[in-house]
Amino acid sequence: MITESRLKNVLDSGNFAVTAECGPPKGADPEVVKSKGTILKGHVDSVNVTDNQTGVVRLNSLAACALLRAEGLDPVLQMVTRDRNRIALQSDVLGASALGIRNILCLSGDHQSFGNQPQAKGVFDIDSVQLIQTVRQMRDAGEIIGGEKLASPPELFIGAVANPFADPFKYRAARLATKVDAGAEFIQTQCIFNLKRFKEWMGLVRDNRTADQVYILGGITPLKSARMAEYMAKNVAGMDLPKDVINRMKAAPAKEQRQEGIRIAVETIHALREIKGVHGVHIMAIEWEDAVPQIVEEAKLFPRPQA
Amino acid sequence: MDQRGTGFTRAILFCRQLDPNQDVNRRAIEREMGGSIRFFPLPCSGRVDPLYLMRALESGADKVYLITCPEGACRYREGNLRAKKRVAYTQGLIEEIGFARERLELIVPSAEKRVTIDELTRDILAREAAIGTSPVKGK
Amino acid sequence: MITAERKPISEIKEMIAPYRKILVVGCGSCVAECAAGGEKEVGLLSSALRMDAKASGKEIEIKEITLDRQCVYEFIDHLAEIISQYDAVLSLACGAGVQAVAEVFPKAPILPALNTTFLGETKEAGLWVENCRGCGDCKLGVFAAVCPVTRCAKGLFNGPCGGSKTDRCEVDPDVPCAWQLIVTRLEDMGQLDLLRKVHPPADWSKQQGKGPRKIIREDQRT
Repeated sequence: MITESRLKNVLDSGNFAVTAECGPPKGADPEVVKSKGTILKGHVDSVNVTDNQTGVVRLNSLAACALLRAEGLDPVLQMVTRDRNRIALQSDVLGASALGIRNILCLSGDHQSFGNQPQAKGVFDIDSVQLIQTVRQMRDAGEIIGGEKLASPPELFIGAVANPFADPFKYRAARLATKVDAGAEFIQTQCIFNLKRFKEWMGLVRDNRTADQVYILGGITPLKSARMAEYMAKNVAGMDLPKDVINRMKAAPAKEQRQEGIRIAVETIHALREIKGVHGVHIMAIEWEDAVPQIVEEAKLFPRPQA
Repeated sequence: MDQRGTGFTRAILFCRQLDPNQDVNRRAIEREMGGSIRFFPLPCSGRVDPLYLMRALESGADKVYLITCPEGACRYREGNLRAKKRVAYTQGLIEEIGFARERLELIVPSAEKRVTIDELTRDILAREAAIGTSPVKGK
Repeated sequence: MITAERKPISEIKEMIAPYRKILVVGCGSCVAECAAGGEKEVGLLSSALRMDAKASGKEIEIKEITLDRQCVYEFIDHLAEIISQYDAVLSLACGAGVQAVAEVFPKAPILPALNTTFLGETKEAGLWVENCRGCGDCKLGVFAAVCPVTRCAKGLFNGPCGGSKTDRCEVDPDVPCAWQLIVTRLEDMGQLDLLRKVHPPADWSKQQGKGPRKIIREDQRT
């Protein structure tokens, strides 16, 4: 039985961490989750499970985390504030800990209007920063919102997200500081295609000393095709996919575009390793989990350390 | 202006500015057509309220026209543009009760040559498509 | 003010179908300002309903009346003398007005002709925008007079989400990002530090804690 966060141990021992993303299926079959876990196992330290990403109804994140946990993986429970109020969120935090889940990533979530339930009522009782603060207070002080004591606190390594590419740009570093003040211990960023802007942001994050207080994992998404690149550039909120990346994908023959996408991902990882304050990478291979082991190996991040 | 039971079929609301002699000119055509046509001069077509258009339809007009002054010629500058929006709004309203939007028509005369209200009316009637009796007259 | 929009006529027709004599009641306050329920709109709707009835060979009798306000008893009282002559009231007030009339006349069917939408401002002629949710705990003082509860699609209290791009909201490119407005205004005033504090979870009980809210002011009571 793992009783500690593998992700935390890898980071605390000074290793360059590797996490990946696993999107649960639009169905009830546990085998889908397990087989994704099998692909990733051994090649990554921890696996994020998305929480009804883009507002699309999928198998519950907490349940999928428990399935991965049973397969011996270290899951990162993504939790959005869009769908549940503070009663449900805090209750799920306790449940996650009880099931042996040791990492949580706190987000506000994509707006419900993007998904397949656009008529849903967006809850947003609390925001992502307040969720970070709440989980931190539950863990460290053993208190829920309002100050009531817990019989036993949850054990969770607390994460948050950052988008260095959204606006207002200058405020983005201050926003990260707010998340760290609230209690975030690790950060996973939006996919990085614009390295120049990412470096600029990291500079600001080092300047305001936030980089010293938190582990930052850079987001990596391998592009499957030139078409996917163009689609993402146009349609995904908060995405910064520069023209030269799209052109590079277009220049590759159709059959070799997947390989080109992986090559770009590997190059980006190498570049990130050179940036001070970057402690790992978070690979979001959207419905393409098979690509992850190859990327990890080609980036010379395999084998993973024992932790 | 309840015209039920008469031959009233068309209401023409128009901007008085487009024909300085409108008073005399429309009388002639009114005499000729009897009760089947009624004119309503407005100080500016932009002053038209959707309610006037509805009242004209409600009182039995088969078709209601709003004639503005030529585009760009409005002495209040935007009157005829407003008229256009109000006609569109009222067309939406009558469509909701199942009336054809063509029962309301906006006429913007050409700016090239000045014509009198009676000439304009004859032109309009000459090229009018069949619209049928207003549903408000019952079945 | 409170804004509203007329319901589709098909929906109104369905509601009034069982009734022949209808009292159409407008309200001269907020909904008149937003051109949804004032005297003019009462005239337009009544005219449309009469025309529709004539066209479908149905008998209908409509009386049009517009009160200064439909949410205050003194004005509603003007209906007392005539309401018994009608089978139903079609109210062009906001939801508060419709219910106020219904409370005064417990036995009369009171039907809403409008969808009440939001608390907002008349930004320009023909344009109304929502900028208050009546949360009961106004924080405009710390957010540079831009309400994140109302104007941020996610109601975020601690900064913009990751979807804000070139000062537009990810949800609707026609909508400015509220947080971009807050940050810019605070920056201009040299008060960006106000955002360093983590705002704790809001107290929504002030908005919806125990059902409908009320305000009691003893000094105003008779």
